[in-house]
Amino acid sequence: MQPGTIPPQTRKRKAAEATTSPIPDDTPPNKKHQLTSAGKHQLEGLEAAPPTPLTTTTSHNGNDSDADPGADVMDSDDDFMSNLSSEDDMIQEDDSDNDISNPEDFDFDDEPDLDAGNKDSQQTMKRNYLDIDFKVYRPEDIQKQQDDLVDEVNMILDISKEEAAILLRYFRWNRERLIEDYMDKPRQVLDAAGLAQTAADKPRLQVIPGFMCDICCEDGPGLESFAIKCGHRFCVDCYRQYLSQKIREEGEAARIQCPADGCNLIIDARSLDLLVTPELTERYHELLMRTYVEDKETLKWCPSPDCANAVECGVKKKDLAKVVPTVSCLCGHRFCFGCIYTDHQPAPCELVKRWLKKCADDSETANWISANTKECPKCNSTIEKNGGCNHMTCRKCKYEFCWMCMGLWSEHGTSWYNCNRFEERSGAEARDAQAKSRVSLERYLHYYNRYHNHEQSARLDKDLYMKTEKKMVELQKQSGMSWIEVQYLQSASQALQTCRQTLMWTYAFAFYLARNNLTEIFESNQKDLEMAVENLSEMFEKPVQDLAQPGLKVDIMDKTSYCNKRRLILLEDTAENLQKGKWTFNVDLVSGAPHVNPTSAPGTSSRR
Amino acid sequence: MALCQNRLQEERKQWRKDHPFGFYARPQKNAQGVLDLKIWECGIPGKEKTIWEGGLFKLTVTFPDEYPTKPPKCKFVPPLFHPNVYPSGTVCLSILNEEEAWKPAITMKQILLGIQDLLNDPNPESPAQAEAYNLFKKDRVEYERRIKRVVRENAAP
Repeated sequence: MQPGTIPPQTRKRKAAEATTSPIPDDTPPNKKHQLTSAGKHQLEGLEAAPPTPLTTTTSHNGNDSDADPGADVMDSDDDFMSNLSSEDDMIQEDDSDNDISNPEDFDFDDEPDLDAGNKDSQQTMKRNYLDIDFKVYRPEDIQKQQDDLVDEVNMILDISKEEAAILLRYFRWNRERLIEDYMDKPRQVLDAAGLAQTAADKPRLQVIPGFMCDICCEDGPGLESFAIKCGHRFCVDCYRQYLSQKIREEGEAARIQCPADGCNLIIDARSLDLLVTPELTERYHELLMRTYVEDKETLKWCPSPDCANAVECGVKKKDLAKVVPTVSCLCGHRFCFGCIYTDHQPAPCELVKRWLKKCADDSETANWISANTKECPKCNSTIEKNGGCNHMTCRKCKYEFCWMCMGLWSEHGTSWYNCNRFEERSGAEARDAQAKSRVSLERYLHYYNRYHNHEQSARLDKDLYMKTEKKMVELQKQSGMSWIEVQYLQSASQALQTCRQTLMWTYAFAFYLARNNLTEIFESNQKDLEMAVENLSEMFEKPVQDLAQPGLKVDIMDKTSYCNKRRLILLEDTAENLQKGKWTFNVDLVSGAPHVNPTSAPGTSSRR
Repeated sequence: MALCQNRLQEERKQWRKDHPFGFYARPQKNAQGVLDLKIWECGIPGKEKTIWEGGLFKLTVTFPDEYPTKPPKCKFVPPLFHPNVYPSGTVCLSILNEEEAWKPAITMKQILLGIQDLLNDPNPESPAQAEAYNLFKKDRVEYERRIKRVVRENAAP
């Protein structure tokens, strides 16, 4: 059982319990520890995180942010928790509903409980579409995880800790497979992982009479030399040089081999510590830590600058067409676990990728060119006709042609200035193509302008947020309110930013959406949220003396919570339909199929 | 730098003491007539009982200052018709790549023998020139005909 698959509600409940009552006895001792420590972090995260539907527990609205964290947890679990008969039901139900647990998980005993969960309440079922199970680890947690695994393998297999670490890295930290394979055929496993068969003494530097180093060819008396278990001996200086090259220049750590040709024995951490300077050792361990996170599909680094935390989440790559796994780091940064991009709910990763590419790669410039220009039939220069008759003379190559049929002008005979060839054939097609491309451009611009507008407003709101702090201090002075009493401004500011972020992506999402009844609902949700956000934004900009009025304070608090609620409703709706595969997109979400023109008969092409 | 010179002197000593039959390797003389240990002129004979038999292929080996931490660069002069030789003549071989299998303990002898092996045993996974690679993949008869021509043009004395 992996600790990471325990649903957040459960974890937090346990954490909450941990502060008041002892943990139930059915949890195994080591897991108990994981739960409490992770829960604690989660709680700290809660204080910092903006109101968000990441998990049901973090979806509290702004006004309860003045409550203490423990109460926060109880608050946000709000009404639907009371519908549940027991906490155990909760665990089982969540596990089975989300379908994003690890393969290492053996949840075969879930089936009967799933039915029990269904009986419980409709509301819980609905909420689950937005639930993403994730857990944040600090560097020391990551180190501890590794140490625990190493200790375990070290005890079970009776090999040194350094060797256990090398084996684990070779098996990408899959302990079960390691133990199974090792029990089966220890020789091959050791060989493949780059470990010697024989047990040797502790690594140490030696002076051997008559020794010559094969790298630098030094053979002076008193030359210190070193060898790992393979016995390939080199002088200390060459070894150091080799290791620092590997670590500093190549960023290698987990698989540094013996310097001898063809020898694939891995140099272990203890030998390394003996040879190199402390700063290099530090870098080495940093690199090792990095490989641990990168080796595990369920772990990813928080992409926020200067953040050393990692997030664990069970959502797999293949699930990304059905779910937008947004997670929130303890540092407050919210990002998509699937693509590491900043929170882009409700749009799925594939659409985000396409949208960003579309906005960045100037594909619309090409669209404009095709809508407004033609090419010279001779030299292919792009020409925009800005007036005059159809007799064109290319400025570059002096080629004369008819703008209508693109044919040679001299062949037009007497029908000059009235190209009749155009009416007949290819001309009609060309005109159609131009019209289509123009509609497509307009459609894109419609969505892009709104997307861009919210992006910009979000940035402006961020500036405003910076000023909020000052505003709050001022407000405290002017009105005699306490620090706690002005926190509603902070909540409002956070709500504004989060909602704008969501709105922004709803437009990218809508661009790829084919019209049907569901899009009507979506658009009305979008409109509601947009109006609420604009209202709040307006209130927020009022001068400080107005903010001090109790009436406005209540208004802002109400609006804040309304915005958050509207956002949740929109996201829940989109997430549910995404999970159920009810959306129809203009593009293929699963494979990287070529972009289908958005204007071409919406609804005919569907995802999958 | 000192490490580089020391090692190259030792390489030279070892090579003169013993080297595989048919090969040659000697440091170049610079303009003043002084030996430059960092550029070697080498010759690799085609292996017996292969289509490369009878040829002797000239190679320039250039050692960087960081040698032996970093591998030397091996270049056929003139460029050789072979799937793993770049149009410039540079050899594409795992033991000559510092990110792959290069180890500081690899000697000149091992490098040259490695390249000799590569001649008749090209690695289609990492093609370096289109012409030889395409022929090797699509028309083996024509490929071998071309090799024989190359061998004739570079016949061992």
